This record gives sequence, structure tokens and C-alpha cells, in this order.
Amino acid sequence: MTGPAELAILGVGQTPYRRRHEGSTPELVYGAVRAALDHSGLEHRDIDLVIGGFAPDALAGENCPDKRFLPAAGAVGKWSMRINTGGTTGIAAAYAAMDLLEAGRGDAALVVGVERMAQARSVPAVFNSIFDPIYERDTGLSTVSMGALRATRMMQSWGYTAELWARVAERNFAHAASNPLAHIRTAYSVGDVLTSRMLAWPIRQLDACPISEGVCAVVIARTSAAARQRGRPLARVRGRATVTDTYNMGDRIGRREGDLVELLTLRMAAQRALGQAGLASAADADVVEIHAPFDHAETMAYAPLRFCAAADGPALVESGFGHRDGGGPVINPSGGPMAANPVGATALIRLAECALQVMGAAGERQVPGAATAVATGQGGSTQFSTCTVLSGS
Amino acid sequence: MGESAAGKVPPLTIDGHWAFDYTYYAGDAASRFFAELANRRIMGTRCPQCLRVLVPARGFCDACFVETTDWVQVSPHGTLETFTILTTSFPGLPEPPLVVGYVMLAGASSAVLNFVDGIDLTDPDAAGTAMLGRPPVTARFKDVCEGRITDFVFTLDEPA
Ligand SMILES: [Zn+2]
Repeated sequence: MTGPAELAILGVGQTPYRRRHEGSTPELVYGAVRAALDHSGLEHRDIDLVIGGFAPDALAGENCPDKRFLPAAGAVGKWSMRINTGGTTGIAAAYAAMDLLEAGRGDAALVVGVERMAQARSVPAVFNSIFDPIYERDTGLSTVSMGALRATRMMQSWGYTAELWARVAERNFAHAASNPLAHIRTAYSVGDVLTSRMLAWPIRQLDACPISEGVCAVVIARTSAAARQRGRPLARVRGRATVTDTYNMGDRIGRREGDLVELLTLRMAAQRALGQAGLASAADADVVEIHAPFDHAETMAYAPLRFCAAADGPALVESGFGHRDGGGPVINPSGGPMAANPVGATALIRLAECALQVMGAAGERQVPGAATAVATGQGGSTQFSTCTVLSGS
Repeated sequence: MGESAAGKVPPLTIDGHWAFDYTYYAGDAASRFFAELANRRIMGTRCPQCLRVLVPARGFCDACFVETTDWVQVSPHGTLETFTILTTSFPGLPEPPLVVGYVMLAGASSAVLNFVDGIDLTDPDAAGTAMLGRPPVTARFKDVCEGRITDFVFTLDEPA
């Protein structure tokens, strides 16, 4: 081996993302992994590592689900482990696989992200249980109110309005209408968003992601192994970085290094990943898949991704930024997490969708000529951030 | 001759139930923080390196990765830094409408999350818009403290 290994994504397999799947978890995992292997041209025997992501066990109601889903992902006889970092679970699994491949632990890895949250009959109560039981849980904190606390601060700091965010939602839903895998395929309008049910002010139902189930699988290999698949498209990994923040959201209020809504860790991860890929800004990419389960959260990522200064975010939304036919980078051609957010899979889906785009294999949602794509991940209490840059062969 | 695998039967579902009881140890810092609430005092701990006063109190600063040293009483008066109005009822969560927000108390370097009481929430949009200007708030203690963060709530110093 000379120099660091070059890595590429060879194949993607996904179930559709839906409110509820009627198959068992191992069946769904097997199906997505089978599809990813078929897409990659590799066989099960070519896989050395199987890394699986599964988010809070209590959402699926199955404790230590790794016992059942890893073998369904092809782990029998291979190096395997399960990873959980909340929303970033899927991409954290992919990074673990990439690191192990670079370390020489194998030539090819299978990564899978799994979500069965519709098995829970009270999802908000389960989400309350992810917060600090000593200082915070009694306040009824959930993932929606956690988001709303940020949205309010963005209104205060930068003048965002419900109308501006509704335009972001409208664009995501419009894009999702071209994605047969998306859970929400209705092209909701700004008016629909603004009149949907208020969940936690200022967040309404259509400002937020749905509860979705599904499985995403990705085959990643060292390009020396990928060379055997000559003639097939692949997505090269050009840059990647992950940075972790404190859990305590209150510690980030007014913090010198970066306020709660300045997404310090995404700023750091993007700076590193874009730098590795030689990009000055994520706006230099053709496609950007932003891991944001709310419209306000997408706009919170604009400054860290170097689209604009934080204060100029509202004007950028006003300009119609991110539309498929807008001339600039296409944001979330898949519809993004607002159209399907299976928690344990969603950050891996951002990577998978970027891979499909630069491989020219994204079907109806293909952005013509997409050569470079950026995927982000956000997990924990907006605390784990990742940024990945892919380019085509 | 075997049967085709394509023969479909309706999906079988099996009920599950997951309700376990737990005992959480609050730890040294939080135990003292809650004990001080009973004395009507909100306490923070100072990091010797970044000099931030962390509220509610923590045993160590996770940014500098050192133990906190001094205990510091902070003011019950502060600023509502951000908030949300919970408007939808979910099983197992407090019954809306409710306001929760992060408050930076005078003398603290980090904000504490708690309920903000006494606000007219008939029109959530109007109430939310009225509170956007980081209004001043004050912590009000309950008559009986039981060692929970809800031993105090915030109220706006001037009606929204
Ligand atoms: Zn410190």
C-alpha cells in the first residue's frame, strides 16, 4: 500500500421510506443490503466489514437490536459492529467503515442504517427519554421543542419568519415529488405549511419531518478493490470530517466560539471536509443533501456550509436558492429529511443520495451532470456534525 | 412439488410493552444544586480555565475538560434567551399550552431551561411574537421544593 487508501461508494440499496413497513426488521435489512450488493457488482463473499447503525432502541421497542439486524446485513463470519449517535447514526457507521478500510482491515464494507420507529405507539414520549433525566427531562423536552428553541433564536438573531421557512419546506416537498422512495410526495405549498397544525411554536406540522421507517445500505470499498468493477460508476470520497459539541444547549447560548444556532461543529466539519476536497464552499458542489429534519434547521446550516453569512440567510431563501432549476447547487433533490426521516438511516441516506447523484443513477431526481456532492449529518442535541464530499469517477 | 414463496398471508403483528422503572443518581454537583434550590438559591460552578459560571451546576467543564472549583450563587433575574410554546398534546408529556425557554441568569455564563409561567397563550402566534425581544424574567420558587428542576419557574418581569 502506498499512501492513504482511496475510498469509493460502489453501490446503494434502499427500501422505500414510509410511515410504516409491514416486514420484519431483518427482512427489511436483508432486502436493502441485497439491493446494495447487486448495485455494487460485489458478492457477499467480497465484503470484509459489516457496520450497522440503529438509533434509540426504545423507538423500535427492541433492546440491543444489533443481535438480529447485523446478521441480516450479512455479518455472519465477518468483522461487525453497531453504532448509535442519534441522528448521525447512519453516517457514523459509514465513517467507521471508511476508517477501518483505510486502516487496512479489509477491502470492502457494507454499511446499513435502520429505522423502525413506527413500532413505538408514543414517539414523542420516547424522544423525551433521550434528554438529561436530571436537569432537563421534566420540562417535557422533545425533538420538536428542541428544534423550536433554535428556530425562535434564529427569528430573534437574523429575522427569519415562518413565511421564509415555509418556502424552504415548499422546495423540499417539490423535490420529493420526484423521489419514489420519499415518504411525503405531496407538493405542499407555502400556504399549506403556514396553515398546518402548530406543534411547538414557531414549528408547524409541515415545518417538521414525518415519522418514517426504512433501511438504507451502502457498499464502500478501497478503490483498489473497486478497480475490479471497471465500467461501473462509483462515487469517490473526497473529504470527510466529524466534530462533536457539548450536550448542554444552554452552554451554547451566547458562547464566544459559536452560539447555539451557529452550528459550530458543522462549521468545523465543513471547513475540514471542503478543504480536503479543494472546495471553497459547499455552493461549489452541484448537489447538497442537508441533514435537517426542520426547514429552520436547513437554513441554520447555510452559514456553516459557506453559502452566505448567517445574517444573510433570509435573503438567500428569498432569492429562491436551492431549487432544481435555480442555477446554483440543488439542495435536497431527494426532498431531504422533511420528506422522509427514518432516524437511524437518515444521515446515511444523505450520503447514499449524493452517491447516486454523482454516479448518474438517481433516476427521476437526477440532477443533470452532477459531478460533486456534499452531504451533512446532524445528531444528538445538534451536537454531532458530519460533512462528506463525493465526486464521480 | 413445493409451494411458491409468493403465496401471501396478511402481515402478523404481535403486541409489545416496554415500561421499566429506573433510579437515576443526580451526581455530586446536581445533588448540591437541588439542595440549594430548597434554600431559594440558584447555584453555578466556575471553571478555573475558561472562567465560565455553568448553570445549572456541573462537576466539570466539558469544553476545558477540567473540574470546576468555586460554587457561585447567581441572580434570580435574567433574560429569556429563547423559548418555544408547546401547543400539541402528546401522551406522556406535560399538557399544553406551556412555554419553556432558556434563561441566562445574571452572573451565569450558560442558560438554564425551565417553564415560563403566567403568559396568555390564547393566541400562540401573538404570544410568541411578543416574547421575541429577549425579555427580562425572574425565577419564582415553589412553596415546597422536592429536588427537581421544576422547583422554580420563570415569569416575565413585564406582561408580554
Ligand atoms: Zn472551561
